[in-house]
Amino acid sequence: MTPSGEGQQPHDARRQRRLALARAWAAAVADTTYVPMSPREIEEYLLALVDRIGDALSAEPFDPEPVAEIGTLLVRAHFSGPETLERTLDVLGRTLLFNPETGPVDRLAERVVTVLGAVASGYATAMRQDAFDQQEEIKRALLNAKNDVERVLKVSEARFRQVFATSAVGIAITDLTGRCVEANAALAEILATESSSLVGRQFDELLYATDTDGLHAIYRDLVDGVLDTYRERGRLRRDDGETAWVYLAVSVLRDADGNPTHHVTMVEDITELHLLADQLSHQALHDALTGLANRQYFASRLESALGSPAPITLYHLGLDAFSVVNHGLGHDVGDRLLKIVARRLEAAVQGERALVARISGDEFAVLVQHSPTTPSVLDMIRILQDELAEPVYLDDQGVAVSAGIGVVDQPPAGIEIADLLRAANSALRRAKANGKRQWSIYEQREDEAERVRSRLAAVLPGAWESGEISVAYQPMVRLTDGRIVGVEAVITWEHAEHGVVSPRDCMRLAEDTGLSLPIGLWALEAACGRAREWQDLFGDGAPTLWLRLTPLQSGDADLVGAVRQTLADTGLGPSAVRIALDTGAVLAELGDAADNLRVLADTGVGTALHEFGGAHQELGLLVESKTQALLLSPAVVREIVGNTPALRRALGEMVSVAHLAEGVVAAAGIDTAEQADRCRSIGVDLAQGAHFAPPLPPEQIPALLNGV
Amino acid sequence: MERVAWVPDDVDEGLPSAARLYDYLLGGGHNFAADRELAAKFLKAQPNARNIARENRAFLRRSVLFMIESGVRQFLDLGSGIPTVGNVHEIAQKADPDAHVVYVDYEEVAVAHSKLLLENNDRATIVQADLTVPESILEHPDTRALLDFDRPIGVLTAGVFHFVSPAKEPKRIVAAYRDAVAPGSYLAISQFTADFMPEEMAGIVEVMKNSRDPMFPRSYDEILDLFEGCDVVEPGVVATPLWRPESVTAASDEPTRAGIYAGVGRKR
Repeated sequence: MTPSGEGQQPHDARRQRRLALARAWAAAVADTTYVPMSPREIEEYLLALVDRIGDALSAEPFDPEPVAEIGTLLVRAHFSGPETLERTLDVLGRTLLFNPETGPVDRLAERVVTVLGAVASGYATAMRQDAFDQQEEIKRALLNAKNDVERVLKVSEARFRQVFATSAVGIAITDLTGRCVEANAALAEILATESSSLVGRQFDELLYATDTDGLHAIYRDLVDGVLDTYRERGRLRRDDGETAWVYLAVSVLRDADGNPTHHVTMVEDITELHLLADQLSHQALHDALTGLANRQYFASRLESALGSPAPITLYHLGLDAFSVVNHGLGHDVGDRLLKIVARRLEAAVQGERALVARISGDEFAVLVQHSPTTPSVLDMIRILQDELAEPVYLDDQGVAVSAGIGVVDQPPAGIEIADLLRAANSALRRAKANGKRQWSIYEQREDEAERVRSRLAAVLPGAWESGEISVAYQPMVRLTDGRIVGVEAVITWEHAEHGVVSPRDCMRLAEDTGLSLPIGLWALEAACGRAREWQDLFGDGAPTLWLRLTPLQSGDADLVGAVRQTLADTGLGPSAVRIALDTGAVLAELGDAADNLRVLADTGVGTALHEFGGAHQELGLLVESKTQALLLSPAVVREIVGNTPALRRALGEMVSVAHLAEGVVAAAGIDTAEQADRCRSIGVDLAQGAHFAPPLPPEQIPALLNGV
Repeated sequence: MERVAWVPDDVDEGLPSAARLYDYLLGGGHNFAADRELAAKFLKAQPNARNIARENRAFLRRSVLFMIESGVRQFLDLGSGIPTVGNVHEIAQKADPDAHVVYVDYEEVAVAHSKLLLENNDRATIVQADLTVPESILEHPDTRALLDFDRPIGVLTAGVFHFVSPAKEPKRIVAAYRDAVAPGSYLAISQFTADFMPEEMAGIVEVMKNSRDPMFPRSYDEILDLFEGCDVVEPGVVATPLWRPESVTAASDEPTRAGIYAGVGRKR
């Protein structure tokens, strides 16, 4: 079957006409609206509509119904510009009227008008509907948007509320006059109050007066935009009167136009941090064991106390025999003891403006700033000693604590802290030198002497080298008949600046500097040489040579050898000397002191004990060692020559005991006839001192012995 | 937790928006009286504004189709505005139903409208964000859920960069998106210029000056500069009607009257 040429021809022609119409239509509306299709797609879309119109026009019977939908189809595809319909009707009208399709159509013009009317009417309806739909959509979108925003705002507000209410950071919102509009619970807690009571209050009330101006300036700068935010440490006044240490972070709230309306102040409580910092600084300033102030802190407090008008007294305490506790009972016990002492010292000065410090191992210091009710120095020492005297029980053992106390009372305001501490220390040393439980008040003069001594000690070796040291001889007189029966060899020092340094001081200096051994040996040799000369001159009438040895010399392992060698070298008889050992050194068995005493006596060398105090063990030593003589200690001599007859009589007993042991008793430092009498009255055998003769150069001794 | 880039105090339909103005110029009805008022002023300053909008919208369509042809199946439409006629997902998903599209706009009504439109489309979504803050978009979970950054993405900025002030450094912004996408990705830019019709452009700038979306036209060189790191595809940066027209007649109108430069670049 072949399609009829005649039948095909009109059909193709119609197709071409309709396509041409669709193209013309597309071109006409192209710039009236945006249709998201390619030109070809647009043509095809419109061609379908042309088909529908063409079919409707030629249909019998004529029915415009299918055309009514064309308006809707146009609008749906967005052929909906303001001029789209006008251009559409223009193109369609002209083409449809003058390009009839196949054959004559009955009442064509009428049909075309009806069709175009239907298109226009459908289009208008569709446009109305479309506009309505779009408005509906956009309103729904608007509503949704508003709901979204509101929801977000609600969430954000809720979030803010949540943060505000539960934050550990205190938050205050204040208006520009500083009135608190809102405050959260955390802030109330920091300030020890209720958040409701904060609202309406001026934020200023929470500040310390000294901080107010600075913070005002900062709040102003924030409002002015000079500062964005402010974050700094600060402090706030709590309602309970305490201080809250805080971090303050301040910023400005602005309205929609950017104008400042409120301040937000965030308050972070760092009181604990502050306390921790305090604790750290406490640790740096305090002794870890006792919790007392340490030396550094004490010194700084001392300095500020010196600057204040109230007079002060400084007590420097050194525990007696603490090392005995530490070594004997252990360090733990020692530590406990120190803690107890610390508490007792604090108790002793309770109620005073006082600071107790531990300034070294077993030494404490107490600074007292005077008030009208402050006890006197003597009372304070008694209070301190009494407080310490209460036995301390450690491991069920009662330990008595005592301390030496050095006192500096009312030091001058200008004194250096180092000097002040040194003065207290020097007073303590002096106190301790006198034994347990002693105290001493610092005297400028004594301290001066101490300093001179130190200087002398430093130059002593040079002085010995250069011959400033010499051996002098001080006569010793028999009290019964006033005869010179002995001379003591002493060393003297003619110092260019300080004049004559006393033999006693000279030996102490030598002992301190370790020079006592060589100087002692040198003096021994010189003195023995002189004694030999006098023996040659006076025979049996020659005086016995006394030599007082320092503790070091007494304990010297080479002592016996040196003495024997010297005696042998000089040819002096061993019984012509009295080598006087230090009583304390012998009793304490310092070095070879006890052996030295025994061996010297055993080999016939005349021996003596000096610094003899008369105590039981000393008397025992005298008896045991068969020592020929003893030289009473200055303290005993003071008691003998003092105004207490009963004491003197008691010492007479001691002298009697010595006599029973066949010892000769000698007293040095007798300056007056009365003193000599009192010595004589209790049986003292020999005496030496200014009353009889000072130390003399050796050349003067023979004349004295001759009675010239 | 809901992610919100910013929180407006309120939605005020009394404040005209560029998105709805564009919709109106395209013949849409998704606008309010204030938008139409602004449009009247806009049209007075630039009587050809409807054509300019239409040509810009047509460029968007052609650039999407070009990218589809180049194998791109994912799109990031920055500043998508009111979903009006011929939206990207409609174009793309008509070509390939599996194409993924992420719209971005910061205007809340546009966003709400887009949400309505995309309710039942799991391959397209809208992210409410400011395109000048690229990380807020590139790192947004919704973006990450729909776009695979290891494969090419078509980044579309049709008629949006003229709303980005020089102070916001448009080049830096473009660079951030370019750096985030895989090589072989495409970048489409169209934006107003004063190169063609300086007087009218000045009028438009004046009209928009006090709106929520003031405008900043750019020169050819400035726009070309935005394509740094990309090869600009033929025919380069040209007036919108001249960018790969679909028929000779379609571009027959005096092309420079389009007022907008357009171009597409391929990331190297």
